[in-house]
Amino acid sequence: MTTTQTQAAVRGPKAEVPQKPVRRRREGAAWVFLSPWVLGACVLTLLPMAVSLYLSFTDYDLFNAPNWVGLRNYTQMFTEDPRYWRSVGATLTYVVIAVPLQLALALVVALALKGMKRGRAFYRSAFYAPSLLGASMSIALVWRAIFNDGGTVDNLFGTGGWVNKPGWALFAVALLTVWQFGAPMVIFLAGLQQIPGELYEAAEVDGASRWRQFLSITVPMLSPVIFFNLVLQTIQAFQVFTPAFAVSAGKGGPADSTLFYTLYLYDRGFVASHMGYASAMAWVLLIAIGAVTAVLFRTSRSWVFYASEGDR
Amino acid sequence: MTTTTPTTVARKPLDWRRVALHAGCLAALLVMLYPLAWLLATSVKPADEVIASLNLLPGKLEWSNYETALDGVNDVSVTRLLTNSLLIAGGAVIGNVISCSLAAYAFARLRFRFRGPLFAFMIATIMLPHHAVLIPQYIIFNQLGMVNTYWPLILPKFLATEAFFVFLIVQFMRGLPRELEEAARIDGCGPFRSFFSVILPLTRPALITTAIFTFIWTWNDFFTQLIYLFSPEKFTLTLALRSFVDASSTSAFGPMFAMSVIALLPIVLFFLAFQRFLVEGMANSGIKG
Amino acid sequence: MPGSRTRTSFRPRAAATALALCVVLAGCSGGDASSSAGGKVVLRYTWWGNPDRAARTQEAVDLFEKKNPGIEVQTSFSGYDAYKQKLATQAAGGDAPDVMQLDYRMIDQYASGGVLMDFAEQPAALDTGEFDAGLLATGKVDGKQYAIPQARGTETVVYDTEQWKASGVELPRQGWTWSDWADAMRALAEKTGKPGATDPGQSEDAFEIWLRGQGKALYTKDRKLGFTADDLARWWTFTDKLRREGVVSSAEQTSQIDGTVENTPLGRGYVIADTNWDAPSSGFLALIPDGVTLAPMPSGEDGTPGQYFKPSMFMGVSADATHPKESVRLIDFMLNDAEAAKILGATRGIPVNETLRDAIAPELKDFDKTVYDFQASVDGKLEPPPQAPPSGDSALQTTFQRDYDQVSYERMSPREAAENYITEANAELRP
Repeated sequence: MTTTQTQAAVRGPKAEVPQKPVRRRREGAAWVFLSPWVLGACVLTLLPMAVSLYLSFTDYDLFNAPNWVGLRNYTQMFTEDPRYWRSVGATLTYVVIAVPLQLALALVVALALKGMKRGRAFYRSAFYAPSLLGASMSIALVWRAIFNDGGTVDNLFGTGGWVNKPGWALFAVALLTVWQFGAPMVIFLAGLQQIPGELYEAAEVDGASRWRQFLSITVPMLSPVIFFNLVLQTIQAFQVFTPAFAVSAGKGGPADSTLFYTLYLYDRGFVASHMGYASAMAWVLLIAIGAVTAVLFRTSRSWVFYASEGDR
Repeated sequence: MTTTTPTTVARKPLDWRRVALHAGCLAALLVMLYPLAWLLATSVKPADEVIASLNLLPGKLEWSNYETALDGVNDVSVTRLLTNSLLIAGGAVIGNVISCSLAAYAFARLRFRFRGPLFAFMIATIMLPHHAVLIPQYIIFNQLGMVNTYWPLILPKFLATEAFFVFLIVQFMRGLPRELEEAARIDGCGPFRSFFSVILPLTRPALITTAIFTFIWTWNDFFTQLIYLFSPEKFTLTLALRSFVDASSTSAFGPMFAMSVIALLPIVLFFLAFQRFLVEGMANSGIKG
Repeated sequence: MPGSRTRTSFRPRAAATALALCVVLAGCSGGDASSSAGGKVVLRYTWWGNPDRAARTQEAVDLFEKKNPGIEVQTSFSGYDAYKQKLATQAAGGDAPDVMQLDYRMIDQYASGGVLMDFAEQPAALDTGEFDAGLLATGKVDGKQYAIPQARGTETVVYDTEQWKASGVELPRQGWTWSDWADAMRALAEKTGKPGATDPGQSEDAFEIWLRGQGKALYTKDRKLGFTADDLARWWTFTDKLRREGVVSSAEQTSQIDGTVENTPLGRGYVIADTNWDAPSSGFLALIPDGVTLAPMPSGEDGTPGQYFKPSMFMGVSADATHPKESVRLIDFMLNDAEAAKILGATRGIPVNETLRDAIAPELKDFDKTVYDFQASVDGKLEPPPQAPPSGDSALQTTFQRDYDQVSYERMSPREAAENYITEANAELRP
């Protein structure tokens, strides 16, 4: 590898204090690269976010001028709204079920496909196929037909319907998400391809077992991608909307069992027109997800390996 | 250890591990594709069989579902709708690949002030449910005179507002050894040249993933298209098809399933055409040096 | 955003203005949405509907443009749920279309939010002489006419003709009461072995009819609840008992109702009768081979009819419309023009213009004819409709179903759920 040779030469100067002009130039370069993002973040992201934060302290109802109500939305949410807490419970249950299942399935399939010589393209397309659909009305109807009384699952296992029982409906919705594991699978596959083959060849020469190779090469080299999928799927799971909205026809039923957080948020904001309240819900969610993500980032230091920082 | 040795004249002994792998994959596929088969079958079922019948296969083929589904869009030609869809999805792909890789490079490989906080802010932008910012965003685009144009659908992509992809590319870039750029720097490359000629080619799997996801997600993004487009001649295929299926008025499940299948076809073709690029990763990108 | 709260004459959609300010300050204010092209007046007109309605509406609009060469109408449409959210976003963004189709439940909210124009501002452009006064009044908020009803519909007991007849149970008749109805359902359940009807407990519409049969109403004139927890608890006790007896559909079947006929217990063949609006019941025809019959809703025990003619859709004009006169003229054309009426038929329901209603009657076919005949059979026997429901109602319809879910899944008693609902409703209706 030519890189190894240059690496030795590079390491010396790198350790020294870099000359100032170079540094300034690089800092300037960074802002050039960032400029589209900065513009987008200010106009299309920060501004709407600021407005929604402001609205969360008002009684904004979409049609009339917002009136400042202080923390009323927040106190009402925490103390007077049992349905809010039901939605929190449903969402947490969903996150705990759907995220690990979906990621595990995506990783297992990606690993299986990686080791495959023939038919990889076919399998990859076939496994991705459900994810092409999104969660449209029609797939929701198919899902309900399968998981309803007298549906396929009922006929095969005699479990009765799922989508019409408060204790089971959430699983049916979670399965819809798990079923569409194409995106994390493709990202895992892309990550697997980025692992240099030489690493495995070298390990093979050393006589390392497959399992050993998986643990000491695949997992660390793939860890940035595993981390990405974990963070993103967790964030998305907290915001789960479309599958439940479609399967329960927007109601989050039966008996509020699939009334996920954002579904209830939508209901408050756009059905009941309490956009102030919905904005407050959104900011509480942001803080909750932020906390969970921060914890994930904190733990990542001990298990995520970045080649660019590997020699530190 | 199954190392695939070159086959000799003698017949290769049956590789049980591989057989098991294929059998496992096929069995999993059978379960996974069942709902899709259901969708396809239902699209040609007559109305009284759609929900009531438990048979996967339709009792009689009802092709008129497809006619009805396409009926809705007769005012605007399907070619026009398809062109609109392609224009938006194509614009989004270009925008996302360019802007997200630029931003990702800065976050992953360059040093600048407030990098940590800005990165945290970027991640935070995907934590706020989009319903909460929908109206402010609509107002901004309305004030900019962009409602009922394609700008609200494409412009955000050129401004790297999809943190999902920025973060994705960041993670891939951070996986590349730092020595690469340092070598390039020794050769006299500035950050721009090392971005274009060293880092970008090596991030290809992530860029292709970004392109494919952007295309599919933009194609399926009924909601944004619905909110920002007014004139039917500006509608996308997804929007036109879905607009016409109003579940609340009359029995239209058959046509609705047919419509789903029609709307699905272009992205299936797109995925089949481009998924092979997903394979080319390291092998062709020359990290071996 | 300082200052935005203190001005009393502040226009609605303050967030819009506040944001506009930010954008203007940023120096990138965009062009005004053009409302005239090449000297023509351009109107934007939106509605929700299906392909049939879209084709007919477009044809009528084309005719309008032909008769009014100076006006160009841009039309747009989507399914109901999508339409609702799109319109709310547009209205909140200060970008409501000039002419819009509205639902009964939207009027109060849109009118009190300043989105709709008072038709008194354009008295000459619209002729309402042929409209039933009671029906017309449903488009009024605080005495001002903000919306014009387009068509009317009414709730009905719809049943599988063949199965009911085969059971030998006496058929529904004009003036039957809720206890007659319950007896009939019991008899049906006994004879056929399946529940007689969809559990009406989840339906706010059915409850309203039951309530009106007792001389009460969902809402009072001053936009408060018109009933007590006792009333609701009685209704839910009534339906809950029937459900426990197996006379109406089970919770598992009822909870799958999603607004489509396919997923109603009747559409799936679990029951023999349902309560539904008249025109949408046409969907059952494709699912029930032997056809369905429309029967009147049960009355109160003393014979007070609860059923009423409800305007099924309205048309309204944006308060910000640049060409209000032309907008109203379009509405006048859609509702009063004989040729337009012929084109539109019953695609939005039976027309409200009484002369045109009789004029198109002979041309109605199939289920449109059934609906027309059914409406004719109850016409003149019903009480006038209530005024448009107050704005909080849009959320309460779902709340009603959600609270009844708690009853039918036996997680709460009817009394507990009813008290819950009253609390939630009072919070929604808080001015």
